Amino acid sequence: MKLKAWIAVGLMVPLGMSAGSWFATAEAQTEADSVAAPAAEDPAARLEGLVEQVQAIQADTDRMKRFKFSGYVQLRWETAENSGDTVKVAGTTLTPANVERFYIRRARLKLTYDASPLSQAVVYIDGGSDRTIRLLEGYLALLDPWTTDHRHQFWAGQFNVPFGYEIERSSSLRELPERSRAENVLFPGERDRGLKVVMPLTDRLETVVAVINGGGISSADFPTTDPTAGKDWLARARWSQGVFDAAVSYYDGRQLVPLTGDDIEVDRTRLGADAQLYYELPTLGGGSLKGELYRGANVNADSVTALTVSSSVGRLLRPGADPGHFDTDFLGGYVMWVQNLGEKFQFAARAERFDPNTDLDHDQFERVSLAVHGFYDGFTRVTVSYDIPRTEVPAGAGYDDVPDNLWTVQFQHRF
Amino acid sequence: MRTIRTLALAAAAAGALAAGAAHGARGITVKGSDTMVILAQRWAERYMSDHPGAIVQVTGGGSGTGIAALINGTTDVCMASRPMKEDEKRKLRDRYQTMGVELAVAKDGLSIYAHESNAVPSLSLEQLRGIYTGGITNWKQVGGRDAPIILYGRENNSGTYVYFKDNVLLGRDYSPRCQTLPGTAAVVNAVARDPNGIGYGGAAYGQGVRELGVRREEGSPAVKPNAETVRDGSYPITRNLYLYTRTRPAGDVKKFVDWVLSPDGQQLASKVGYFPVH
Repeated sequence: MKLKAWIAVGLMVPLGMSAGSWFATAEAQTEADSVAAPAAEDPAARLEGLVEQVQAIQADTDRMKRFKFSGYVQLRWETAENSGDTVKVAGTTLTPANVERFYIRRARLKLTYDASPLSQAVVYIDGGSDRTIRLLEGYLALLDPWTTDHRHQFWAGQFNVPFGYEIERSSSLRELPERSRAENVLFPGERDRGLKVVMPLTDRLETVVAVINGGGISSADFPTTDPTAGKDWLARARWSQGVFDAAVSYYDGRQLVPLTGDDIEVDRTRLGADAQLYYELPTLGGGSLKGELYRGANVNADSVTALTVSSSVGRLLRPGADPGHFDTDFLGGYVMWVQNLGEKFQFAARAERFDPNTDLDHDQFERVSLAVHGFYDGFTRVTVSYDIPRTEVPAGAGYDDVPDNLWTVQFQHRF
Repeated sequence: MRTIRTLALAAAAAGALAAGAAHGARGITVKGSDTMVILAQRWAERYMSDHPGAIVQVTGGGSGTGIAALINGTTDVCMASRPMKEDEKRKLRDRYQTMGVELAVAKDGLSIYAHESNAVPSLSLEQLRGIYTGGITNWKQVGGRDAPIILYGRENNSGTYVYFKDNVLLGRDYSPRCQTLPGTAAVVNAVARDPNGIGYGGAAYGQGVRELGVRREEGSPAVKPNAETVRDGSYPITRNLYLYTRTRPAGDVKKFVDWVLSPDGQQLASKVGYFPVH
């Protein structure tokens, strides 16, 4: 009873004070109105005043419109076939051993500032899979003043490596939760620092040339050093017909394997080709067939076994290790089919293969991935996907496939 | 057990989506160009009166807004007073695997408005470019009285803004002195009140202002927008007005766009102040 009384007093005192101050304010306002009652104001003058105010607000609004925010969040629930599975398929460090988990795969925010039609700056951050927020992209772009659509561009900063098709395609648009294994191995992190020039030669043909550090944002040396003396450079030519697009890409670079004593510098040359064909079926809607091929020479992940690394002796080649093994010819690629099922659902299937060393057998990675998307509205997508990887591992006298199939349910919202 | 849980979660997700899909049954929605709002509303009214039970909802917002809504799936039909840009087509293709379907449904002569008291009879395209990019700032520089030119234009989500910029300004940026207004009607009102004002917009809106003739070259004859000059292309700032759909029109949407392109629909476009596409 006592408590209720105190609550009542506690409520009434401030309310009473508020009411008192409101009445006092209202009274003062009435007095002010009666003292300063203006003569009849010219409606046209008032309108002019309002127009000026609106114009001032408009100018502020126009300035604010130069800032554009976009991004997306992906929440995943994954369940893998065995506890030894690697549920994080992207990046160089594979996260081990969660059979089943919720996690945020990507939480990304992009800020674009359009200073004028001829220049813009972009800052793109990710707070998803890591505990820290990291810079994914940060670049300035200068656009040409001599064409109406400003298609000639110069970029400087940190951006997606302009190679092939899937690297530059936003994860929020992709029809399968992750990119192909070949892309994951060859371009971990997808981004690097450098310069890029975009030059359309015709309405349909666009070329891109870029110079970058090499190694990408997921390499151990990033972002402080570029261990190789020279820069990596790449070029791509893309033909865009609309219903049929195709491109060829070339990457030329070197990679340094640091050793105690003389380092080993190896070739990092990549060739790529990709094509996309779009079609439309009655009732079902649009669909597409896509394919991409990667080949070239790359530092083989297995080459780490040829090193002895310790604080006492440093990084040395193991006795008998072949320095030539650091650099192997690879071949990888995928084919994919995407079919809309009306406007609310979409089906996707991909078959891929990556052979990190074409001179060896039983080291290939293969995977079939299936996905169904449902679009709740224009911004929210729910994905159910199933990955069936095939990796041969020694088993007895032969080789066996690891049981590592993976279910993924992903909720994504774009803004 | 885990597979059962996976499937249960997937089923729950699919159920939520199905609910979202069911939410979508609401007639035909048409969104986009403010220039086309009046025209599309007239089309919708007549169509609904001729087709009992049909529902067509029309809203403006600008061509850019309409195209974004088409890409986001929040409208069935987009109206646009400019063609879709390549990056907009790419976004549509990313989501729907289609390039969209473009239907030219009317023609418009983009009119240049001046105050009734303004004595300047016409402007060349080069003079217009100079005026709107800030190089020409006084009416006396184009044969008028000694008075500053007050620029009125559209917001950057407007198809008219983009069309004017691409085709008259040849891609150059508008002068920072250009006051942006949220619709052609607002531009016309502003110019009607401002003796030194100049604006641009659809031919159907030119009430209470004077439409200036436009010369393709400095020495060319001045041409005003009318059915003949727009149809034969002699009016220099002639454009198509479009409806866009994500896929080939089907069902109710197909019936509506077929009617828009029929003689009845095209005749109505003429009555509103635009010009038939054929």
